[in-house]
Amino acid sequence: MEQLFSGYMIYSLSFLLIFIALATILHLQFSIGGIVNFGIVGFWGLGMYAFALLNLKLNIPFVPAVLLASALTGIVSMALGRIILNLDDQAVLVGTLAFATIIEYLATTEKWLTNGVMGFGTIKFPFDLGANTLFVYFLVVLVFLILLMFYVSKIKTSPYGRLLLSIKDNEILSQSLGKPTFRHKIIFFTVTCSLIGFFGAMTAPLYNYIFPRMIGPGITFTIWIALMLGGRKKLLGGFIGILATIGLFDYVIETVVPIPTQYAEMVPNVKFALYGLTLMLVLMFRPLGILGDKKREVKG
Amino acid sequence: MREKVLHLRNVIKRFGGRTVVDIKDITFGTHGIEGLIGPNGAGKTTLIGLISRKVSMDQGQILYYQDKNEMDISKKSLDELSRMGLVRTNQIIQDFESLSIRDSLLLSLANSKHEKFYNIFNEKELRKNTEKEIEKYLDYFNFEDPDGHALSAGEKKLLDIIRCMVLKPKFLLMDEPTAGLPHDQTDKVIELMKKKTKEEGMAILIVEHDLDLIWTVSENVYFMSEGEILIKGTPDEIRKNKTVINKYMGESEC
Ligand SMILES: Nc1ncnc2c1ncn2[C@@H]1O[C@H](COP(=O)(O)OP(=O)(O)OP(=O)(O)O)[C@@H](O)[C@H]1O
Ligand SMILES: [Mg+2]
Repeated sequence: MEQLFSGYMIYSLSFLLIFIALATILHLQFSIGGIVNFGIVGFWGLGMYAFALLNLKLNIPFVPAVLLASALTGIVSMALGRIILNLDDQAVLVGTLAFATIIEYLATTEKWLTNGVMGFGTIKFPFDLGANTLFVYFLVVLVFLILLMFYVSKIKTSPYGRLLLSIKDNEILSQSLGKPTFRHKIIFFTVTCSLIGFFGAMTAPLYNYIFPRMIGPGITFTIWIALMLGGRKKLLGGFIGILATIGLFDYVIETVVPIPTQYAEMVPNVKFALYGLTLMLVLMFRPLGILGDKKREVKG
Repeated sequence: MREKVLHLRNVIKRFGGRTVVDIKDITFGTHGIEGLIGPNGAGKTTLIGLISRKVSMDQGQILYYQDKNEMDISKKSLDELSRMGLVRTNQIIQDFESLSIRDSLLLSLANSKHEKFYNIFNEKELRKNTEKEIEKYLDYFNFEDPDGHALSAGEKKLLDIIRCMVLKPKFLLMDEPTAGLPHDQTDKVIELMKKKTKEEGMAILIVEHDLDLIWTVSENVYFMSEGEILIKGTPDEIRKNKTVINKYMGESEC
Protein backbone atom coordinates (compact mmCIF):
# COMPACT_ATOMS: atom_id res chain seq x y z
CA MET A 1 0.00 0.00 0.00
CA GLU A 2 2.73 2.42 1.00
CA GLN A 3 4.63 1.47 -2.16
CA LEU A 4 1.59 2.31 -4.23
CA PHE A 5 1.10 5.66 -2.57
CA SER A 6 4.68 6.74 -3.04
CA GLY A 7 4.51 5.57 -6.64
CA TYR A 8 1.48 7.71 -7.17
CA MET A 9 3.19 10.63 -5.49
CA ILE A 10 6.17 10.45 -7.79
CA TYR A 11 3.91 10.08 -10.76
CA SER A 12 2.04 13.23 -9.73
CA LEU A 13 5.23 15.10 -9.00
CA SER A 14 6.59 14.21 -12.44
CA PHE A 15 3.54 15.84 -14.00
CA LEU A 16 4.01 18.87 -11.80
CA LEU A 17 7.58 19.18 -13.06
CA ILE A 18 6.40 19.03 -16.65
CA PHE A 19 3.82 21.74 -16.06
CA ILE A 20 6.32 23.89 -14.20
CA ALA A 21 8.57 23.58 -17.23
CA LEU A 22 5.75 24.66 -19.53
CA ALA A 23 4.89 27.64 -17.31
CA THR A 24 8.57 28.61 -17.22
CA ILE A 25 8.81 28.49 -21.00
CA LEU A 26 5.65 30.56 -21.18
CA HIS A 27 7.27 33.09 -18.86
CA LEU A 28 10.24 33.20 -21.21
CA GLN A 29 8.05 33.60 -24.29
CA PHE A 30 5.69 36.14 -22.82
CA SER A 31 7.56 38.20 -20.26
CA ILE A 32 10.90 38.31 -22.02
CA GLY A 33 10.05 37.71 -25.66
CA GLY A 34 6.66 39.41 -25.65
CA ILE A 35 5.00 36.55 -27.52
CA VAL A 36 1.45 35.77 -26.46
CA ASN A 37 1.36 32.02 -26.93
CA PHE A 38 -2.14 30.72 -26.34
CA GLY A 39 -1.39 27.43 -28.00
CA ILE A 40 1.07 25.90 -25.57
CA VAL A 41 -0.92 22.70 -25.45
CA GLY A 42 -0.63 22.43 -29.22
CA PHE A 43 3.16 22.42 -29.23
CA TRP A 44 3.22 20.16 -26.22
CA GLY A 45 0.70 17.80 -27.82
CA LEU A 46 2.56 17.84 -31.11
CA GLY A 47 5.77 16.86 -29.34
CA MET A 48 3.97 14.14 -27.44
CA TYR A 49 2.15 12.66 -30.43
CA ALA A 50 5.15 12.94 -32.72
CA PHE A 51 7.32 11.17 -30.18
CA ALA A 52 4.80 8.41 -29.57
CA LEU A 53 4.31 7.81 -33.29
CA LEU A 54 8.03 7.75 -34.01
CA ASN A 55 8.69 5.53 -31.05
CA LEU A 56 5.86 3.06 -31.50
CA LYS A 57 5.07 3.04 -35.20
CA LEU A 58 8.58 3.50 -36.56
CA ASN A 59 10.39 1.84 -33.69
CA ILE A 60 12.78 4.72 -33.30
CA PRO A 61 14.56 4.51 -29.94
CA PHE A 62 13.67 6.87 -27.14
CA VAL A 63 16.40 9.51 -27.34
CA PRO A 64 16.38 10.07 -31.12
CA ALA A 65 12.59 10.01 -31.08
CA VAL A 66 12.52 12.76 -28.43
CA LEU A 67 14.99 14.82 -30.42
CA LEU A 68 13.12 14.33 -33.68
CA ALA A 69 9.81 15.19 -32.05
CA SER A 70 11.31 18.40 -30.62
CA ALA A 71 12.82 19.29 -33.99
CA LEU A 72 9.52 18.64 -35.73
CA THR A 73 7.71 20.88 -33.26
CA GLY A 74 10.35 23.51 -33.96
CA ILE A 75 9.90 23.29 -37.71
CA VAL A 76 6.14 23.53 -37.48
CA SER A 77 6.35 26.49 -35.11
CA MET A 78 8.80 28.20 -37.43
CA ALA A 79 6.29 27.93 -40.26
CA LEU A 80 3.56 29.24 -37.98
CA GLY A 81 5.84 32.01 -36.73
CA ARG A 82 6.53 33.25 -40.23
CA ILE A 83 2.81 33.79 -40.67
CA ILE A 84 1.86 35.33 -37.35
CA LEU A 85 4.90 36.92 -35.72
CA ASN A 86 4.84 40.15 -37.68
CA LEU A 87 1.21 40.68 -36.73
CA ASP A 88 -0.02 42.27 -33.52
CA ASP A 89 -0.51 40.53 -30.16
CA GLN A 90 -4.16 39.69 -30.72
CA ALA A 91 -3.32 37.97 -33.98
CA VAL A 92 -0.55 35.97 -32.33
CA LEU A 93 -2.96 34.95 -29.58
CA VAL A 94 -5.62 33.84 -32.03
CA GLY A 95 -3.07 32.21 -34.35
CA THR A 96 -1.50 30.08 -31.64
CA LEU A 97 -4.89 29.20 -30.18
CA ALA A 98 -6.07 28.10 -33.61
CA PHE A 99 -2.90 26.09 -34.06
CA ALA A 100 -3.54 24.15 -30.86
CA THR A 101 -7.11 23.51 -31.95
CA ILE A 102 -5.87 22.13 -35.26
CA ILE A 103 -3.46 19.78 -33.52
CA GLU A 104 -6.21 18.46 -31.27
CA TYR A 105 -8.51 18.14 -34.27
CA LEU A 106 -5.94 16.25 -36.33
CA ALA A 107 -5.22 13.92 -33.42
CA THR A 108 -8.91 13.11 -33.44
CA THR A 109 -9.63 12.85 -37.16
CA GLU A 110 -6.50 11.15 -38.50
CA LYS A 111 -7.63 7.79 -37.22
CA TRP A 112 -5.28 5.79 -39.47
CA LEU A 113 -2.38 7.39 -37.66
CA THR A 114 -3.57 8.20 -34.16
CA ASN A 115 -6.49 5.85 -33.67
CA GLY A 116 -8.74 8.88 -33.15
CA VAL A 117 -10.48 9.48 -29.84
CA MET A 118 -9.51 6.01 -28.64
CA GLY A 119 -5.86 6.94 -28.65
CA PHE A 120 -2.93 4.56 -28.67
CA GLY A 121 -0.10 3.14 -26.59
CA THR A 122 1.69 1.67 -24.86
CA ILE A 123 4.53 4.10 -24.49
CA LYS A 124 7.35 2.71 -22.42
CA PHE A 125 9.97 4.36 -20.30
CA PRO A 126 13.43 4.51 -21.90
CA PHE A 127 14.84 2.20 -19.27
CA ASP A 128 13.58 -0.54 -17.04
CA LEU A 129 14.87 -0.37 -13.50
CA GLY A 130 12.08 -2.35 -11.98
CA ALA A 131 10.39 -0.58 -9.10
CA ASN A 132 12.73 2.39 -9.45
CA THR A 133 11.95 3.15 -13.08
CA LEU A 134 9.46 5.89 -12.37
CA PHE A 135 11.61 7.50 -9.73
CA VAL A 136 14.66 7.63 -11.97
CA TYR A 137 12.55 9.05 -14.80
CA PHE A 138 11.29 11.67 -12.38
CA LEU A 139 14.90 12.61 -11.65
CA VAL A 140 15.65 12.88 -15.37
CA VAL A 141 12.73 15.27 -15.85
CA LEU A 142 13.89 17.20 -12.79
CA VAL A 143 17.35 17.61 -14.27
CA PHE A 144 15.88 19.00 -17.49
CA LEU A 145 13.67 21.37 -15.54
CA ILE A 146 16.66 22.64 -13.58
CA LEU A 147 18.62 23.11 -16.79
CA LEU A 148 15.70 25.04 -18.24
CA MET A 149 15.44 27.26 -15.18
CA PHE A 150 19.15 27.90 -15.29
CA TYR A 151 18.94 28.85 -18.96
CA VAL A 152 16.06 31.25 -18.37
CA SER A 153 17.80 32.85 -15.40
CA LYS A 154 20.95 33.32 -17.48
CA ILE A 155 19.08 34.79 -20.43
CA LYS A 156 17.77 37.58 -18.25
CA THR A 157 21.22 39.03 -17.78
CA SER A 158 22.62 38.33 -21.21
CA PRO A 159 22.83 40.41 -24.38
CA TYR A 160 20.29 38.04 -25.93
CA GLY A 161 17.79 38.70 -23.14
CA ARG A 162 18.25 42.42 -23.54
CA LEU A 163 17.57 42.08 -27.23
CA LEU A 164 14.36 40.14 -26.55
CA LEU A 165 13.20 42.73 -24.02
CA SER A 166 13.89 45.51 -26.49
CA ILE A 167 11.76 43.79 -29.11
CA LYS A 168 8.96 43.29 -26.63
CA ASP A 169 9.08 46.90 -25.44
CA ASN A 170 9.56 48.80 -28.68
CA GLU A 171 10.21 46.76 -31.79
CA ILE A 172 10.67 49.69 -34.17
CA LEU A 173 13.17 51.36 -31.87
CA SER A 174 15.03 48.07 -31.65
CA GLN A 175 15.10 47.89 -35.45
CA SER A 176 16.43 51.40 -35.65
CA LEU A 177 19.39 50.24 -33.56
CA GLY A 178 20.13 47.66 -36.23
CA LYS A 179 18.35 44.61 -34.80
CA PRO A 180 16.63 42.34 -37.35
CA THR A 181 13.69 41.82 -35.04
CA PHE A 182 11.47 39.64 -37.20
CA ARG A 183 14.24 37.11 -37.74
CA HIS A 184 15.04 37.12 -34.04
CA LYS A 185 11.39 36.56 -33.14
CA ILE A 186 11.12 33.59 -35.47
CA ILE A 187 14.25 31.95 -34.14
CA PHE A 188 13.18 32.59 -30.56
CA PHE A 189 9.70 31.23 -31.18
CA THR A 190 11.10 28.16 -32.93
CA VAL A 191 13.55 27.37 -30.16
CA THR A 192 11.11 27.90 -27.31
CA CYS A 193 8.30 25.98 -29.02
CA SER A 194 10.60 23.07 -29.71
CA LEU A 195 11.41 23.13 -25.99
CA ILE A 196 7.69 22.82 -25.31
CA GLY A 197 7.65 19.94 -27.80
CA PHE A 198 10.56 18.38 -25.95
CA PHE A 199 8.68 18.38 -22.68
CA GLY A 200 5.66 17.05 -24.55
CA ALA A 201 7.73 14.09 -25.72
CA MET A 202 9.01 13.59 -22.19
CA THR A 203 5.42 13.46 -20.94
CA ALA A 204 4.40 10.60 -23.20
CA PRO A 205 5.86 7.72 -21.14
CA LEU A 206 4.18 9.12 -18.04
CA TYR A 207 0.82 8.92 -19.76
CA ASN A 208 1.61 5.58 -21.22
CA TYR A 209 -1.45 5.82 -23.42
CA ILE A 210 -2.34 9.01 -25.26
CA PHE A 211 -5.59 10.31 -26.68
CA PRO A 212 -6.84 13.69 -27.98
CA ARG A 213 -8.75 14.72 -24.87
CA MET A 214 -5.42 15.12 -23.09
CA ILE A 215 -4.46 17.97 -25.34
CA GLY A 216 -7.52 20.17 -24.97
CA PRO A 217 -7.33 23.95 -24.40
CA GLY A 218 -7.83 23.55 -20.63
CA ILE A 219 -4.11 22.93 -20.26
CA THR A 220 -3.18 26.17 -21.97
CA PHE A 221 -5.57 28.13 -19.79
CA THR A 222 -4.38 26.45 -16.62
CA ILE A 223 -0.76 27.26 -17.41
CA TRP A 224 -1.60 30.87 -18.18
CA ILE A 225 -3.57 31.19 -14.98
CA ALA A 226 -0.73 29.60 -13.05
CA LEU A 227 1.82 31.99 -14.50
CA MET A 228 -0.31 35.08 -13.87
CA LEU A 229 -0.95 33.83 -10.37
CA GLY A 230 2.66 33.04 -9.56
CA GLY A 231 4.12 36.14 -11.15
CA ARG A 232 4.62 36.41 -14.87
CA LYS A 233 7.74 38.54 -14.58
CA LYS A 234 9.59 36.24 -12.20
CA LEU A 235 11.66 33.19 -12.95
CA LEU A 236 9.91 31.24 -10.21
CA GLY A 237 6.48 32.60 -11.12
CA GLY A 238 5.59 29.48 -13.09
CA PHE A 239 6.86 27.23 -10.33
CA ILE A 240 4.83 28.92 -7.59
CA GLY A 241 1.81 29.27 -9.87
CA ILE A 242 1.72 25.59 -10.83
CA LEU A 243 2.04 24.55 -7.19
CA ALA A 244 -0.81 26.90 -6.26
CA THR A 245 -3.09 25.60 -9.01
CA ILE A 246 -2.49 22.09 -10.27
CA GLY A 247 -0.46 21.19 -7.21
CA LEU A 248 -3.09 22.34 -4.79
CA PHE A 249 -6.25 21.31 -6.59
CA ASP A 250 -5.37 18.23 -8.59
CA TYR A 251 -3.14 16.56 -6.11
CA VAL A 252 -3.54 17.87 -2.61
CA ILE A 253 -7.29 18.35 -2.66
CA GLU A 254 -8.15 15.38 -4.84
CA THR A 255 -5.94 12.95 -2.99
CA VAL A 256 -5.89 14.22 0.56
CA VAL A 257 -9.29 15.79 1.09
CA PRO A 258 -11.97 13.12 1.35
CA ILE A 259 -14.60 14.10 -1.18
CA PRO A 260 -17.85 12.11 -1.10
CA THR A 261 -18.30 10.24 -4.36
CA GLN A 262 -21.53 11.99 -5.25
CA TYR A 263 -19.61 15.30 -5.41
CA ALA A 264 -16.52 13.96 -7.12
CA GLU A 265 -17.90 14.79 -10.53
CA MET A 266 -18.15 18.42 -9.60
CA VAL A 267 -14.51 18.77 -8.65
CA PRO A 268 -13.13 19.71 -12.08
CA ASN A 269 -15.77 22.41 -12.55
CA VAL A 270 -15.33 23.79 -9.08
CA LYS A 271 -11.61 23.75 -9.72
CA PHE A 272 -11.88 25.94 -12.80
CA ALA A 273 -14.27 28.29 -11.01
CA LEU A 274 -11.77 28.58 -8.17
CA TYR A 275 -8.89 29.15 -10.62
CA GLY A 276 -10.88 31.97 -12.14
CA LEU A 277 -11.76 33.45 -8.79
CA THR A 278 -8.18 33.26 -7.55
CA LEU A 279 -6.94 34.84 -10.74
CA MET A 280 -9.42 37.70 -10.40
CA LEU A 281 -8.36 38.34 -6.82
CA VAL A 282 -4.71 38.25 -7.79
CA LEU A 283 -5.21 40.64 -10.68
CA MET A 284 -7.10 42.98 -8.39
CA PHE A 285 -4.74 42.97 -5.45
CA ARG A 286 -1.43 41.76 -6.84
CA PRO A 287 -1.48 42.45 -10.57
CA LEU A 288 1.99 41.03 -11.01
CA GLY A 289 1.20 37.79 -9.20
CA ILE A 290 2.24 36.27 -5.89
CA LEU A 291 5.94 36.89 -6.52
CA GLY A 292 5.44 40.19 -8.33
CA ASP A 293 5.66 43.60 -6.79
CA LYS A 294 2.49 44.77 -5.19
CA LYS A 295 1.65 47.54 -7.56
CA ARG A 296 1.67 47.72 -11.28
CA GLU A 297 4.85 49.27 -12.56
CA VAL A 298 4.38 52.93 -13.20
CA LYS A 299 4.99 53.61 -16.81
CA GLY A 300 7.30 56.59 -17.30
CA MET B 1 32.85 70.23 -48.94
CA ARG B 2 32.61 66.50 -48.52
CA GLU B 3 31.32 63.75 -50.74
CA LYS B 4 27.55 63.46 -50.72
CA VAL B 5 26.12 60.64 -48.59
CA LEU B 6 22.52 60.65 -49.73
CA HIS B 7 20.84 61.46 -52.98
CA LEU B 8 17.05 61.63 -53.19
CA ARG B 9 15.26 61.63 -56.53
CA ASN B 10 11.56 62.22 -57.07
CA VAL B 11 10.70 60.97 -53.61
CA ILE B 12 7.00 61.16 -52.95
CA LYS B 13 4.92 60.27 -49.90
CA ARG B 14 1.19 60.62 -49.64
CA PHE B 15 -1.05 60.16 -46.65
CA GLY B 16 -4.64 59.51 -47.67
CA GLY B 17 -4.24 61.16 -51.04
CA ARG B 18 -2.50 64.24 -49.60
CA THR B 19 1.09 64.66 -50.73
CA VAL B 20 3.15 65.20 -47.62
CA VAL B 21 6.64 64.89 -49.08
CA ASP B 22 7.64 65.68 -52.64
CA ILE B 23 11.40 65.94 -53.18
CA LYS B 24 12.67 66.47 -56.72
CA ASP B 25 16.43 66.16 -56.43
CA ILE B 26 18.38 66.73 -53.24
CA THR B 27 21.72 65.58 -51.85
CA PHE B 28 22.65 65.43 -48.18
CA GLY B 29 25.91 64.96 -46.34
CA THR B 30 28.15 67.35 -48.20
CA HIS B 31 28.74 69.29 -44.99
CA GLY B 32 29.42 68.01 -41.47
CA ILE B 33 26.21 69.31 -39.97
CA GLU B 34 23.25 70.29 -42.09
CA GLY B 35 20.02 71.80 -40.83
CA LEU B 36 16.50 71.10 -42.02
CA ILE B 37 13.91 73.68 -41.03
CA GLY B 38 10.34 74.45 -41.88
CA PRO B 39 6.94 75.11 -40.31
CA ASN B 40 4.96 72.52 -38.39
CA GLY B 41 3.57 69.90 -40.70
CA ALA B 42 6.05 70.72 -43.47
CA GLY B 43 6.97 67.04 -43.71
CA LYS B 44 10.37 67.05 -41.98
CA THR B 45 9.72 64.08 -39.75
CA THR B 46 8.13 62.20 -42.62
CA LEU B 47 11.19 62.89 -44.77
CA ILE B 48 13.46 61.52 -42.06
CA GLY B 49 11.16 58.53 -41.82
CA LEU B 50 11.44 57.98 -45.56
CA ILE B 51 15.22 58.13 -45.52
CA SER B 52 15.52 55.77 -42.54
CA ARG B 53 12.83 53.50 -44.00
CA LYS B 54 10.59 53.86 -40.97
CA VAL B 55 7.99 55.24 -43.37
CA SER B 56 7.33 53.46 -46.64
CA MET B 57 7.81 55.42 -49.84
CA ASP B 58 5.13 55.76 -52.51
CA GLN B 59 7.54 56.57 -55.26
CA GLY B 60 11.14 57.59 -55.85
CA GLN B 61 14.70 56.59 -55.31
CA ILE B 62 17.10 57.09 -52.43
CA LEU B 63 20.79 56.50 -53.07
CA TYR B 64 23.31 56.01 -50.29
CA TYR B 65 27.06 56.41 -50.79
CA GLN B 66 29.44 54.40 -48.72
CA ASP B 67 33.16 54.27 -49.48
CA LYS B 68 32.43 55.52 -53.00
CA ASN B 69 29.90 52.74 -53.56
CA GLU B 70 26.46 53.77 -54.66
CA MET B 71 23.57 51.82 -53.18
CA ASP B 72 19.87 52.08 -53.81
CA ILE B 73 18.37 51.88 -50.33
CA SER B 74 14.74 52.35 -51.31
CA LYS B 75 14.06 48.68 -50.61
CA LYS B 76 16.21 48.26 -47.51
CA SER B 77 14.72 47.85 -44.04
CA LEU B 78 15.17 50.08 -41.01
CA ASP B 79 17.53 47.66 -39.28
CA GLU B 80 19.62 47.00 -42.38
CA LEU B 81 20.13 50.72 -42.85
CA SER B 82 21.10 51.14 -39.25
CA ARG B 83 23.76 48.47 -39.65
CA MET B 84 24.93 50.24 -42.79
CA GLY B 85 25.52 53.40 -40.80
CA LEU B 86 22.33 55.34 -41.46
CA VAL B 87 20.80 56.01 -38.05
CA ARG B 88 18.06 58.24 -36.69
CA THR B 89 16.95 59.79 -33.42
CA ASN B 90 13.30 60.41 -32.67
CA GLN B 91 11.22 63.54 -32.27
CA ILE B 92 8.65 61.72 -30.16
CA ILE B 93 10.20 60.16 -27.08
CA GLN B 94 10.99 56.48 -27.53
CA ASP B 95 12.34 54.18 -24.87
CA PHE B 96 12.55 50.57 -23.70
CA GLU B 97 10.42 50.20 -20.62
CA SER B 98 12.33 47.20 -19.25
CA LEU B 99 15.85 48.49 -19.81
CA SER B 100 17.91 50.72 -17.57
CA ILE B 101 20.03 53.46 -19.09
CA ARG B 102 23.09 51.25 -19.04
CA ASP B 103 21.17 48.28 -20.46
CA SER B 104 19.97 50.46 -23.29
CA LEU B 105 23.53 51.37 -24.22
CA LEU B 106 24.68 47.77 -23.88
CA LEU B 107 21.89 46.78 -26.22
CA SER B 108 22.99 49.36 -28.71
CA LEU B 109 26.62 48.26 -28.54
CA ALA B 110 25.92 44.52 -28.75
CA ASN B 111 26.05 43.10 -32.24
CA SER B 112 24.54 40.02 -33.78
CA LYS B 113 27.45 37.88 -32.58
CA HIS B 114 26.48 38.57 -28.98
CA GLU B 115 22.79 38.04 -29.53
CA LYS B 116 22.37 34.30 -30.02
CA PHE B 117 19.99 32.09 -28.10
CA TYR B 118 22.75 29.58 -27.44
CA ASN B 119 25.17 32.20 -26.20
CA ILE B 120 24.17 33.19 -22.69
CA PHE B 121 27.57 33.45 -21.07
CA ASN B 122 28.96 36.50 -22.85
CA GLU B 123 27.62 39.28 -20.65
CA LYS B 124 30.93 39.86 -18.85
CA GLU B 125 32.84 40.05 -22.09
CA LEU B 126 30.41 42.56 -23.59
CA ARG B 127 30.49 44.69 -20.46
CA LYS B 128 34.27 44.66 -20.37
CA ASN B 129 34.60 45.63 -24.01
CA THR B 130 32.10 48.45 -23.84
CA GLU B 131 32.71 49.82 -20.35
CA LYS B 132 34.98 52.68 -21.41
CA GLU B 133 32.69 53.85 -24.16
CA ILE B 134 29.60 53.73 -21.97
CA GLU B 135 31.23 55.44 -18.99
CA LYS B 136 32.42 58.21 -21.26
CA TYR B 137 28.87 59.10 -22.23
CA LEU B 138 27.36 58.55 -18.81
CA ASP B 139 29.93 60.88 -17.24
CA TYR B 140 29.61 63.45 -19.96
CA PHE B 141 25.85 63.77 -19.58
CA ASN B 142 25.72 63.22 -15.83
CA PHE B 143 22.78 60.87 -15.56
CA GLU B 144 21.24 60.77 -12.12
CA ASP B 145 21.16 56.98 -11.88
CA PRO B 146 22.69 55.16 -14.85
CA ASP B 147 21.58 51.79 -13.51
CA GLY B 148 18.02 52.94 -13.18
CA HIS B 149 15.60 53.93 -15.88
CA ALA B 150 15.69 57.22 -17.72
CA LEU B 151 13.12 59.14 -15.75
CA SER B 152 12.55 62.60 -17.14
CA ALA B 153 11.61 63.36 -20.71
CA GLY B 154 14.98 65.06 -21.00
CA GLU B 155 16.89 61.96 -19.90
CA LYS B 156 14.96 59.82 -22.35
CA LYS B 157 15.69 62.23 -25.14
CA LEU B 158 19.39 62.23 -24.30
CA LEU B 159 19.44 58.46 -24.06
CA ASP B 160 17.87 58.26 -27.51
CA ILE B 161 20.72 60.38 -28.85
CA ILE B 162 23.46 58.44 -27.07
CA ARG B 163 22.06 55.09 -28.20
CA CYS B 164 22.55 56.34 -31.74
CA MET B 165 25.94 57.93 -31.12
CA VAL B 166 27.48 54.72 -29.79
CA LEU B 167 26.53 53.03 -33.05
CA LYS B 168 29.08 55.33 -34.70
CA PRO B 169 26.85 56.08 -37.65
CA LYS B 170 28.13 57.46 -40.89
CA PHE B 171 25.03 59.57 -41.32
CA LEU B 172 22.88 60.58 -38.38
CA LEU B 173 19.39 62.00 -38.74
CA MET B 174 18.34 63.98 -35.68
CA ASP B 175 14.70 64.96 -35.34
CA GLU B 176 14.41 67.82 -32.86
CA PRO B 177 17.03 66.33 -30.54
CA THR B 178 17.16 69.21 -28.10
CA ALA B 179 13.47 70.03 -27.77
CA GLY B 180 12.71 69.85 -24.06
CA LEU B 181 16.34 69.60 -22.95
CA PRO B 182 17.78 71.99 -20.36
CA HIS B 183 20.25 74.53 -21.74
CA ASP B 184 23.41 72.97 -20.37
CA GLN B 185 22.47 69.58 -21.84
CA THR B 186 21.63 71.17 -25.19
CA ASP B 187 25.08 72.71 -25.25
CA LYS B 188 26.63 69.34 -24.51
CA VAL B 189 24.71 67.72 -27.36
CA ILE B 190 25.87 70.43 -29.74
CA GLU B 191 29.46 70.03 -28.63
CA LEU B 192 29.18 66.28 -29.13
CA MET B 193 27.72 66.70 -32.61
CA LYS B 194 30.56 69.00 -33.60
CA LYS B 195 33.14 66.63 -32.21
CA LYS B 196 31.69 63.63 -34.00
CA THR B 197 31.49 65.37 -37.35
CA LYS B 198 35.02 66.70 -37.08
CA GLU B 199 36.81 63.74 -35.58
CA GLU B 200 34.90 60.72 -36.78
CA GLY B 201 33.69 61.94 -40.15
CA MET B 202 30.07 61.56 -39.19
CA ALA B 203 27.56 63.60 -41.17
CA ILE B 204 24.46 64.93 -39.43
CA LEU B 205 21.14 66.21 -40.66
CA ILE B 206 19.35 68.00 -37.86
CA VAL B 207 15.73 69.12 -37.75
CA GLU B 208 15.05 71.89 -35.25
CA HIS B 209 12.65 74.71 -34.54
CA ASP B 210 15.28 76.36 -32.34
CA LEU B 211 16.65 78.54 -35.10
CA ASP B 212 19.50 80.02 -33.06
CA LEU B 213 20.80 76.50 -32.70
CA ILE B 214 20.43 75.89 -36.42
CA TRP B 215 22.30 79.08 -37.32
CA THR B 216 25.18 78.24 -34.98
CA VAL B 217 25.73 74.56 -35.75
CA SER B 218 24.81 74.09 -39.40
CA GLU B 219 27.11 74.72 -42.31
CA ASN B 220 24.28 74.22 -44.73
CA VAL B 221 20.53 74.66 -44.27
CA TYR B 222 17.51 73.31 -46.16
CA PHE B 223 14.16 75.01 -45.94
CA MET B 224 11.13 72.77 -46.31
CA SER B 225 7.55 73.82 -46.71
CA GLU B 226 4.46 71.84 -47.66
CA GLY B 227 6.47 68.77 -48.51
CA GLU B 228 9.00 70.42 -50.75
CA ILE B 229 12.52 71.58 -50.12
CA LEU B 230 12.29 75.10 -51.50
CA ILE B 231 15.67 76.57 -50.74
CA LYS B 232 19.10 75.53 -49.57
CA GLY B 233 22.07 77.65 -48.60
CA THR B 234 24.35 78.83 -45.83
CA PRO B 235 22.69 79.87 -42.58
CA ASP B 236 23.16 83.51 -43.49
CA GLU B 237 21.52 83.11 -46.86
CA ILE B 238 18.58 81.22 -45.41
CA ARG B 239 17.87 83.56 -42.51
CA LYS B 240 17.72 86.53 -44.86
CA ASN B 241 15.67 84.78 -47.53
CA LYS B 242 12.30 86.40 -48.19
CA THR B 243 10.40 83.13 -48.69
CA VAL B 244 11.76 81.71 -45.47
CA ILE B 245 10.87 84.87 -43.58
CA ASN B 246 7.37 84.96 -45.04
CA LYS B 247 6.54 81.31 -44.69
CA TYR B 248 8.23 80.49 -41.43
CA MET B 249 10.09 83.03 -39.36
CA GLY B 250 7.17 85.43 -39.21
CA GLU B 251 5.14 82.88 -37.28
CA SER B 252 7.91 81.43 -35.18
CA GLU B 253 8.95 84.86 -33.91
CA CYS B 254 5.81 85.19 -31.82
N1 LIG C 1 1.07 58.52 -40.24
C1 LIG C 1 0.46 59.60 -40.76
N2 LIG C 1 -0.79 59.52 -41.26
C2 LIG C 1 -1.40 60.60 -41.79
N3 LIG C 1 -0.85 61.80 -41.86
C3 LIG C 1 0.39 61.96 -41.38
C4 LIG C 1 1.12 60.88 -40.81
N4 LIG C 1 2.32 61.33 -40.41
C5 LIG C 1 2.35 62.61 -40.72
N5 LIG C 1 1.21 63.01 -41.31
C6 LIG C 1 0.90 64.36 -41.81
O1 LIG C 1 1.94 64.72 -42.67
C7 LIG C 1 2.27 66.08 -42.52
C8 LIG C 1 3.73 66.23 -42.23
O2 LIG C 1 3.98 65.74 -40.94
P1 LIG C 1 5.43 65.73 -40.32
O3 LIG C 1 5.33 65.10 -38.97
O4 LIG C 1 6.37 65.15 -41.27
O5 LIG C 1 5.72 67.28 -40.14
P2 LIG C 1 6.96 67.99 -39.46
O6 LIG C 1 7.55 68.89 -40.47
O7 LIG C 1 7.86 67.03 -38.83
O8 LIG C 1 6.23 68.86 -38.37
P3 LIG C 1 6.73 69.30 -36.89
O9 LIG C 1 7.65 70.44 -37.09
O10 LIG C 1 5.49 69.70 -36.20
O11 LIG C 1 7.38 68.12 -36.27
C9 LIG C 1 1.38 66.63 -41.41
O12 LIG C 1 0.29 67.28 -42.00
C10 LIG C 1 0.91 65.39 -40.70
O13 LIG C 1 -0.36 65.58 -40.18
MG1 LIG D 1 8.41 66.57 -36.93
